[in-house]
Amino acid sequence: MFEPFTDVVPSFFGWLNQGPLTLTIFLHTVIILPMIWIYFQEKKRLENEE
Amino acid sequence: MAKKSVWSDNRFWQRSATWVTGFASILLIWLTFDTSAQIAMGNDQDLKDGVTKRVPGPTVINYKITYEMDAKRGHEVPVIGEKEKFFGRDDYSEEEAGALLHLGKLGSQAKNCMDCHTLLGNGAYYAPDLTKSWLDPAWGPDGAMQALTGKNTKEEAIAEFLQHPDQYPTHARMMPDLGITAEEAKGLVAFLKHMSSIDTNGFPRNFGRMQGAVNGK
Repeated sequence: MFEPFTDVVPSFFGWLNQGPLTLTIFLHTVIILPMIWIYFQEKKRLENEE
Repeated sequence: MAKKSVWSDNRFWQRSATWVTGFASILLIWLTFDTSAQIAMGNDQDLKDGVTKRVPGPTVINYKITYEMDAKRGHEVPVIGEKEKFFGRDDYSEEEAGALLHLGKLGSQAKNCMDCHTLLGNGAYYAPDLTKSWLDPAWGPDGAMQALTGKNTKEEAIAEFLQHPDQYPTHARMMPDLGITAEEAKGLVAFLKHMSSIDTNGFPRNFGRMQGAVNGK
């Protein structure tokens, strides 16, 4: 799942590029999780409006 | 009244799009600065201290460069070894080496090498890729090109070829005589040598499969 870091210069983007899972986990964290949060906020707002 | 769905609610998509666009913008700005730092050229002290840089300093022309397979990274990487004479000298100062590289870079632009060749991924594939051309065993001690030009060192052989390419036709796609002077040729060879020392993550991919290119095999 996690591969040893082999880039020349250590950097966040080097870590991100190590394998498919690191990128997937990262993108889910920054895109999907906030969208779920926004979803429930909006749901609550719509319910309150009704 | 039917319950309103969040999926058909405009605000949900607006807020999601705002978040993703905003975050991606910040990430891209960060990536730009991160890349700038990674491709910043090293200096003479880095070479003396053995500090690995993606782009070594100009004085790398004082050193022997080999291409070695890195099992961990899964591709070949240029390795800077011991001192090696370049046109009879291995003590080029940072200024001298820098001036030579600058001359070579301007020369490569003036003669438009990229019209036929590829340099670091930019250019054409009509003629051979020049990114790692310095490491091409054909220019080495037992190489066909060095024998053809009748010179004793790699740099002299390349410089001779560059000045009179029409005299050494290698195949149907003959390089034309571009009127390159001896001084320009020296700069161009320095430029090529420096370029071969750049860690390009194994680019060009097929170069490592060339006979004799990696680990001298």
